Amino acid sequence: MLTKKYALKLSREYTQANFTWIISLILTSVLLLNSFNFEKGELKGSVFSIFTAYAMFTIFQMILTLMVKRDLLTIGEIRSSTRKLGYVQLFSIVTGNVFTVAFAFNLIKKQKTPEYMFAVYMLLTQVFIIAISSLNLFKSYVADTFLAAMIILLGVMIFQVVTLILTAKYVEEESAPAWMMIVAIFLLFTALTGNIFALLLGYSLILKIRSHDQSRILKWNTIWEKITRNSTAILGLFFIILMFSVSICSAFTFDYDMAVENDYGAILQKPSLAYPFGTDNFGRDLFSRIIFGARISLLVGFASTAIPVVIGGFLGALAGYYSQRTDNIIMRLLDVLYAVPGILLAIAIIAAFGANTTNLILALSVGSIPTYARTMRANVMMVSNYEFVDSARALGSSDFSIIFRQIVPNSLAPMIVKATLTIGGAVIATSSLSFLGLGVEPHIPEWGNILKIGSTYLESHSYLAIIPGLAIILLVLSFNFLGDGLRDAFDPRMD
Amino acid sequence: MKKSLLTILLAVMVVLAGCVSTKSDVSDKKNDNTEPKTDKSKVVIELLGMGSGEEDMNIVRDQLIKNGFDVKLNIQPDYGSFTAQKEAGNYDVALSSWTTVTGNPDYAVRALFKSDGDNSIMADDEIDALIEKASTETPNEFAETYKQLEQRLVFDKAYIAPLYNSFKAQGVNKDILDVDTVRLAKSRAIAWEPIDFIDETKRDTDPLIIQQAIGTLTSLDPIKGNDGSINTLNTNMYVRLVNLTDDDVVVSDGSLSYNHSIAEGNSAYYFLLRDDINFASITDGKAVDTGERVGADDVIFSMNRAKDPDSVPDHRTYSLHEHIQDVEVVTDLSELDGLQSGSNETIREGLEKGLDVKIAELVSDKAVANNASGKYQVVKMTTVNPFPQVLNYLAHQSAGIVSKKQVESINTYDVATFDVSKDIPYGDQNTVTEGAKYNNTLYASGPYILSHKNDYEAIFYKNPGYMAGTDYEPKISTVTVRFIQDPDSTLSALRNSEIHLFNGVPETKYDLVENDSKLFLQKNDSNAVSYLLFNTKNREVSTSETLRKAVLYSINQDEILNFYQGNKKKAVSTVSPLVDTGNELKADSAKVQEFLNDYKAGN
Repeated sequence: MLTKKYALKLSREYTQANFTWIISLILTSVLLLNSFNFEKGELKGSVFSIFTAYAMFTIFQMILTLMVKRDLLTIGEIRSSTRKLGYVQLFSIVTGNVFTVAFAFNLIKKQKTPEYMFAVYMLLTQVFIIAISSLNLFKSYVADTFLAAMIILLGVMIFQVVTLILTAKYVEEESAPAWMMIVAIFLLFTALTGNIFALLLGYSLILKIRSHDQSRILKWNTIWEKITRNSTAILGLFFIILMFSVSICSAFTFDYDMAVENDYGAILQKPSLAYPFGTDNFGRDLFSRIIFGARISLLVGFASTAIPVVIGGFLGALAGYYSQRTDNIIMRLLDVLYAVPGILLAIAIIAAFGANTTNLILALSVGSIPTYARTMRANVMMVSNYEFVDSARALGSSDFSIIFRQIVPNSLAPMIVKATLTIGGAVIATSSLSFLGLGVEPHIPEWGNILKIGSTYLESHSYLAIIPGLAIILLVLSFNFLGDGLRDAFDPRMD
Repeated sequence: MKKSLLTILLAVMVVLAGCVSTKSDVSDKKNDNTEPKTDKSKVVIELLGMGSGEEDMNIVRDQLIKNGFDVKLNIQPDYGSFTAQKEAGNYDVALSSWTTVTGNPDYAVRALFKSDGDNSIMADDEIDALIEKASTETPNEFAETYKQLEQRLVFDKAYIAPLYNSFKAQGVNKDILDVDTVRLAKSRAIAWEPIDFIDETKRDTDPLIIQQAIGTLTSLDPIKGNDGSINTLNTNMYVRLVNLTDDDVVVSDGSLSYNHSIAEGNSAYYFLLRDDINFASITDGKAVDTGERVGADDVIFSMNRAKDPDSVPDHRTYSLHEHIQDVEVVTDLSELDGLQSGSNETIREGLEKGLDVKIAELVSDKAVANNASGKYQVVKMTTVNPFPQVLNYLAHQSAGIVSKKQVESINTYDVATFDVSKDIPYGDQNTVTEGAKYNNTLYASGPYILSHKNDYEAIFYKNPGYMAGTDYEPKISTVTVRFIQDPDSTLSALRNSEIHLFNGVPETKYDLVENDSKLFLQKNDSNAVSYLLFNTKNREVSTSETLRKAVLYSINQDEILNFYQGNKKKAVSTVSPLVDTGNELKADSAKVQEFLNDYKAGN
């Protein structure tokens, strides 16, 4: 009995099953609340039917959870008959409930290689992109490149379905069949749509086909095993990659004019099929604006994190490796910068040089250089005492080569984690500055700009504020969850 | 299996491709008639504006882009930086607005478009001549002159591109205030004295709480400011010779004069003064009656300093009063026997209208005046040219009457060597701001007097010596003016009863006020006009009339009205709300293309 209780705790499926039904139930309740118009006492047919579908799959999810629990308690593992029921739950993809679908894929396969998980999320990303893009069909017209882009996206999706099946069948923990090389190369090409999961899968396959270094494969497997076990981290990664991919695909499937050109005939429309999120006070489609806004948020988020990582990392590495004097000069100068509040510095820079995306990135970057330098310096000080650094020095390597070939690569993990966690902060800072009228120009679709307009219509057209608010929350949460997951994955104590 | 899937997919694709119309399909249909453009390169227009005009700027940007321009936005956070950019000439078009607070058309054009106007950046002899001609004309005659002026200003030369004329809207808390006592005038600032609570017992216990956006007061000396920070405050602190009604008619009601008359020839004006207004001052935190009457010597002093650019440093309003030639007290009763302009009545008959005690004697000393025994004071004003609209300027807050004695005792500095860091002029806001520099020396001739202020609010008390016992005696003892900058925050304050009155409800929020059971929305026309001002120096638009016209005809006022949900009116110039000229600006893309092609061809 004791071992069976452990079986419950150890089982990936059971933990995820619980997480899934709870989230699913929350979503279902939100839909139920929204399907009633409390003022008029009417039932909104469309929302209610979506609610019904969600309720159905949530109930099925609860049944699955109970069955998994029973299996684990009685025989210590999940019966294959229970696993087969996962195929039924796969159909919840029509409702767009990514939680139940992800669980279903997890349940179906007993041996989950990282490649299988990549393939699953790669396919999910693709399906979501196609679904989001095809909402444009309800508009009066679509972008000129829409049809061609959709055909390519559908073609890629079919290829990815095939890849998923092949991966599930043929890829093992330690190796992959050599003929899958061609699939891997194709996958790398499909990553051009922004689907990073395809890139990860392709890289992973090539690693397993070409590499004979088992320890490298093992390390790769362990890291991803830990990340994919963590439901929130992998869903965070999924959302980030989805946004990234949407930012790229929207260039072909969405019409930018719908997001910036005023349409005085369609001012403040309620959400409908043609305008899934309604329109704002200038008659611009909020859905298109949110989609194009993702581009700026991600660009500024990544760029304003990458710049301080590089500059701060470089300065931190020098400060950590060299003697007191260098250390003191660099760090005390950075302390001066650190004493200036970041957001005030950003406001000052933008007020002085004008509001545009480049200045925004610079303004947000400068303020966070010192924190990265500190992180890097601490790591470098620790790593430079290791024996392999001594041996490199004994072999006569130059300081430069020791720092950047030996020490820095071994100090990167905390930097990556920190960077992931601060991208979220950068996204919020971008939106805050735009909200204050200091970010990008007001007509440019940026989430902070959209929220600014929405905030004045909070009472009469609340969706104008809620939707960009949710978008910001989701993206920042995703980065934070992913950061947490990465920290756990890189932390040796968690083994 | 795979083959059949592929076939189905292809079939679906073909069907879909047939149903879906792409952007170029749609735009091809729309633009079938347009000729191919000769030059594809876009003309860049730099649009300057303030953060508060972001919505208007977006509409203009959108309309210009749709007509083939490229637009660069220059958005400044506040009026100070906007003016700095404007003075530096960093714009092609600047989003500007103008409110004619005097309610007469001359004010709406003189300062803005005349070559030597205070705010003018242009020089056009024909326009100068038309403005001068209209100023001497009566309302029936000047409609045609202003029509010609608009034709020249807007359609022929395109010095400005008009956007819209706003309404005024005021939200009133009808659970607290008696809505019928709250005025909403087209031009003049709101009068506080008639406002009353529903529960009249609260008059002396509760303050009337209102709002103003700007908390930094330019000056409490009426001639030293003409902006939103002091217009309402000075209007209620200083009485004037005449007032404007809610629809811009000049009357003596609620002013320092019982009546006024215009002598034949339209260049001499007579005012019969009241004897029941005393100056108030603040002593020990309370408003007290100084016992000093507001009389003819104060009027003469106030008018002379108003028209003299050198009477104070930083004189902001002398151009409004440059028509005044002489102001004097009349002591010879026979001077009033002349005829009034356009009438068979004498000036005296005009001045005595509705008086219980007729004029028996005219006195020059204000202390001797006693209306009950027939001793009156009469002030005569003459203008440089015949100029009937001068009365509108006398109703402006800058013509407020100050105390000769008090102002002369405070303004002891020499104007030419005035030193900001040392000399403290009358009305300096620091003297009424809480803190070490507080030293309230104000003498108020109006219904209320400012006691003290901080960054959060300003407190006004009722003038105990202001028309006591008449209809114009202030009802509520204390008025608190809250400084709340943002209109949305102000609206929230109104809705949770933090303030009782909000003048300036945003157009897009009318429905919120109308749907709130404790609020009442008052609406009236206003003289506020928004327009685009073209740069007249060092820009392509300064030299090319065709380029300006291309911008002009890109402006679609119907779309602007649509955006504001019909809560704006069309306008052609700043005169539009005051004179019906019959002109209208119609957007015309074909004309825009024509002008643009002309411009690109080098014309």
